[in-house]
Order: sequence, then C-alpha cells, then structure tokens
Amino acid sequence: MKKHMLLMMLLLAVCLAACLPAALAEPEKTLLTIYEGPKTMVSSKTAQVSANGYDLFVYDVMVNHEHIWNANTQPADTPMTYFDFEGKVRLEIRMPGLPKPVESAVVQPYACGIVPEVNDGVVSFVITEPGQYTVVFNGSVNKALHIFANPLETDVPDKDDPNVFWIGPGEWVMDAIALEDNQTLYISGGAVLHSIISVANANNVRICGRGLIDGSDYPAWNQPGSYARVPIDLNHSKNVTVEGICVVNSNCWNVNSYSSKNVRIDNVKVISGRQNGDGFTLQSCTDNVITNCFARTWDDSLVIKNYSGSTKGITFKNVQVWTDLAQSMEIGYETDKGLTLDPEIQDVTFEDITVLYNFHKPVLSIHNSDDAFVHNITYRNIVVENAFMQGDNGFNKELIEMTLANSSWSTVRDEFGSIDDVLIDGLTVINTADGKVPRSRMAGHDEEHRITNVTLKNVSILGEPVATLKDLKLSTDEYCDGIVIE
Amino acid sequence: MKQALSILLAALLAVLPFMGLAEEIETVVTIVPAPEQTKAERPPCFPDPSANFIPLPETENLAEGKPVQAGAHTDVYVSRNVNDGKTDTYWESKGWPAEMVIDLQGTYAVSTAAVCLNPSSIWEPRIQEIAVQVSLDGETYTEVAAPEKYQFDAATGNRIRIDFDQVQAAYVKLIFTMSSASRTGGAQAAEICVYE
Repeated sequence: MKKHMLLMMLLLAVCLAACLPAALAEPEKTLLTIYEGPKTMVSSKTAQVSANGYDLFVYDVMVNHEHIWNANTQPADTPMTYFDFEGKVRLEIRMPGLPKPVESAVVQPYACGIVPEVNDGVVSFVITEPGQYTVVFNGSVNKALHIFANPLETDVPDKDDPNVFWIGPGEWVMDAIALEDNQTLYISGGAVLHSIISVANANNVRICGRGLIDGSDYPAWNQPGSYARVPIDLNHSKNVTVEGICVVNSNCWNVNSYSSKNVRIDNVKVISGRQNGDGFTLQSCTDNVITNCFARTWDDSLVIKNYSGSTKGITFKNVQVWTDLAQSMEIGYETDKGLTLDPEIQDVTFEDITVLYNFHKPVLSIHNSDDAFVHNITYRNIVVENAFMQGDNGFNKELIEMTLANSSWSTVRDEFGSIDDVLIDGLTVINTADGKVPRSRMAGHDEEHRITNVTLKNVSILGEPVATLKDLKLSTDEYCDGIVIE
Repeated sequence: MKQALSILLAALLAVLPFMGLAEEIETVVTIVPAPEQTKAERPPCFPDPSANFIPLPETENLAEGKPVQAGAHTDVYVSRNVNDGKTDTYWESKGWPAEMVIDLQGTYAVSTAAVCLNPSSIWEPRIQEIAVQVSLDGETYTEVAAPEKYQFDAATGNRIRIDFDQVQAAYVKLIFTMSSASRTGGAQAAEICVYE
C-alpha cells in the first residue's frame, strides 16, 4: 500500500514539475492586427471567423466552379478573410451558410500539418506562421474559406510624403489611378477600393498595404458595353513593387506586368471567378519576381507570354495556386504576339509552388504556339495536392504538357519555335480524381522544331516514386530528344 | 491520506488541459477602425479634378441615343458606344481616316460638337485631329470646322469642344485623321455630343 502511495506521489510530482513552469512562465504575447470592414458592407453570412477571440470581417468574393470555358459564365462566391499577426493565433470558424453543419474540415496546404478540431460545427485550429490557409468543409470545395494570415506590416509609407497616396480603411471608388515616377499607393487594411491601378512608363513605383482592390462594380469585360479593367496593370515600367494587397472580383485578368523590368510582387493574393481571370500574367518581361503569393483563378493562374519582345528572368517562388479553369503554370500560348525577331522565353523558375487544386487543364505546361525559343525553364519542388484535371472533351487533361503547335492564340502561323533545357526537380502529386497517374505529353513539330533536354527528377505520384517515363505515362513524339527521368 | 491524494491527483488531471494545451493566447490586438460611411466615396488623397474640366453646354445633347454610322471598328469597340451616354465605353475605328455620322433625326440649329474620352487618368494625354461637317439630307455635307488638332488630357476631362457658327443640320459628321496615342490604330471617342 505504501508503495502504491509513493508511486502516486511521484506521479503527482512529475506532473507538477512538467506543468507548473509553463503555467507560471510569462507567456509570449501574440501581436494581432485586425481590420474592421467598411461600414457600407456587411460581413459574410456564410462564414464567421474569429482570431484569438476577436471577430474578423469576412468578405464574400467571386469564384467559379464551372470547370469549362463559358463566355457568359456566372460566378459563385466563397468567403475570405485576413489579418496580420506575430505569435500564435487560434482561429474559430462557424459556417452558417453551408447547407448542413460542419462535420469535417481540412486545412490546406496539407504540408502545414494542421489537423483542425471540429466540435458542434465549430472548426478551430492554431497557426504560428503567417501564410495563406484554405479550409475545406465536409469534403466539398464549395464555400472553402480562404484565410490570409499576413505578417505584421513593416515599412509602411509616410502618410505625409507628397509622393504617397494614402487610402485608409473604408469603401472607396474611383475610376482609375495612374501612378507616375517615384509614387507610392498605400491601400490600408480595411480598405475596399473599387478602381484600377495603372503604372505606365513609370519608374520606382510602389503599391502596398493590406486592403482589397475590388472589381465587382463592373460587368465581365467581354459583356456588351464593358471592357477590361485590369486591377494592377504595369506597362513598360521599371522598379515596381506590389506588396500585401488582395485583388478580388476582377472583371478580367488580375495582376498584369507587360514589358516591365525589375518588378517585385510579394504577398499579393488574387481570387477571381470571371472570364479570362488570369492571376499573375507576365508578358515580355525581364527580371520579375513573384513571391509568397496566392492565386485562385478562373483562367491561367501563373502565366508567361511574349506580347512585345522576349521574356527573361522570371521567378515564381512560394506561391499557392488554385486553378478552377485552364492551366496552373503556363508558358504560352502566345510566345510571339508582337512578331519580334528571334523571340525567346528564357531563365524562368517556378519554385516551391503548391497547387491546392487544378480542375481543368495541365498543371505544368509550355504551349509554344508561335515561333519562340523557350529555354532554361526550371520547376523545383512543385506539390500538386489535388490534380483533378477534367480537360476539355477529353483533351488537355495532362499533368505535364509541352507542345510546338499552332493554336487559336497563335500570331505566327507558318513558323515554329523550340523548347530546350527544362528541369523538373521535385514534383509531387498527392491526389488525382480517379486515383490513377494522370497522363503527360510532349510533342515537337518537325525535325527543326523540337523539344530537347527535359530532365525530370524526384517525381512522386500518389505516394509512389516515378522512375520511368512509362510510369509517368509520358508520351513523346519523334521530335522530342533527351527526355529523361532520374 | 490516500483518499486526499487521489482527489488531488484527479483535480490536477482535470485542469491539465487548461495549463498549456488549450491555454488562452495572450494577445495584444490592434483593431483598425472603419470610418463612418453610407456609401463608397472618392479617396480624399485624390481630389476631384472636375472643376478643371472643359465645360460643355448645359443644353440637350442632340446626339445621345441617335442612329450612328461609321466604318470598321477595332475589337469590341463598336460605333454605338459613341453616343450611349457613358464615357466608360468607347468607339475605336479600325484605321484612318475615320468618319462618324450622327443622324439627329430632325433638323436643329447646331453650334457645338464635343468629343469625350474616358476621363480616367489612365488614358494618356493625346492629340486627335478632327473636322466637322453637317448635312440636311445625309448626302451633301458642308464643312463647319476645318481639320484641327485637339489636345485631350485627363486634367481637363479628356474632352474637347468644337464651336462653330450656328447652322441648320440633320446630320453631323466628324472626320478623324490622326491620333498621337501610343496604343491605338484608329480614332477613339467615348462620347460625341452635339448641341444647339
């Protein structure tokens, strides 16, 4: 009996020793910044979200579950919220807008390793790192919640600087904003700006903040009487930075960099559900770097084209992608729309890209539809969480597709280019729609226009390493050389 | 003694979850407030430039909604955009010269024509060369304003005004012969207005 009591006392002492220091220690404080929504708007009735007990304003933003092109498509909506923090945040989510109570929830990216608790329809989990988190409820992507947990703001521009345009919290409308040399536009968290921002022939321009650019006032660009109102349009500009903001409800494509150099885009979140709603689209650019961004789009999510000259030095790094329509990482189709001499697309890197979902066309694609020389293209550490490509009428549903062929987007009809020196190092596919390895395809054009020197390494699909081109279900034609998997 | 120890142990186990695993997170929160608003407003950092706009007559715009006739247009920028009453839609011709005829559907004593572009500052400043002719029958036209280069600038509303001696007209034709804009291959007009 004494032995039993001693054992209990020992256990008690161990428990106290383990717990008391934690209980008595000064807890590290979390710094949390939250933003009231505009008084002219109401928070989503679909989702209610709190961070460490503080209610967040939740926006309903356009998305689109129609995974096939429709010129007259009607978008759906999904909830989105954001805040800034440093430390630890416990998120609690209620979803009164779902047709039935929440019974299960999954947090993506899967790599964040978060397993949420679900109790009485309330989803909760803790995050300790800023990032973009998507919560899927009851096994359906309908009304998936996007949470943009930003780092605390730093380097906030001086409101009194005459070169700074400061837009505070609230709902604002203005036809367009044209920024000139050395100007900064700050869009505060809590701001909803109905406008478009143009940076044309300008140097040293900065667009930053935490607020939203919202295109919901405008009909889709292809509808009668409407036109494309590009939320962020960089045109023949240099040394441009875009940071921290969200772009939602665009009536066309979203973040557009055209013939611009030295562009840095960081922590920009794009959600689109309307026609031609490409995410980050770069045409004939040099030295553009896109980091820590998010793109859920109803057209190509990350896309590089040649519209007026060549492309060189593009990096996408640490970007999350959700592709409801078209391709996730596309080079093409237009590779020489400007009919330039010897067009090239070179030195392009996609690194640390997580594709949460692809519902339509290839995940990795180079469609050299004009006559460019596309070379030195690197894909490194690409994770496709859900490769659900349904394609169009049985076509364009590959995981990887590289082609040299004319298309409806071709400008050059009788000349063709080539693709050379492509490295895919680290490609992991976690789920596919049918539980099988999706097909991939490479097709050159003729003896002089070939796809050459494509190396694949560290490919894993459905938990299995892929060691051969056959296992990858990669088809090549006679105009492909040096396609190897290691 | 044994019973007391057991109770103590049970109590300790009961509070364990609250001692670290599900603790309240001490938080220093900053809540950024929203201003009182009843509707979306123009951002204060961008003052309304309309006070500097070129003034247009306050009389009825005789062109609005009337039939128009023009040659080929660029892309989706069709001719009917030119008098739909909205400056956020526009007509763009395909090439030069570009003629736009407005059927006033009646005879009026006209003395002013105006050409408006989208007033947005993203429309770069440009020059367009424009002449004005009028007709009573739609067949024979008389020039009332010779070709002249007009400056369009967002600072003045991206619009120009062409005044001429009052004349009877049932049809008004504007003839565009050049533009200095860098990204167009034709004439552009969001609205063409005609006034008595």
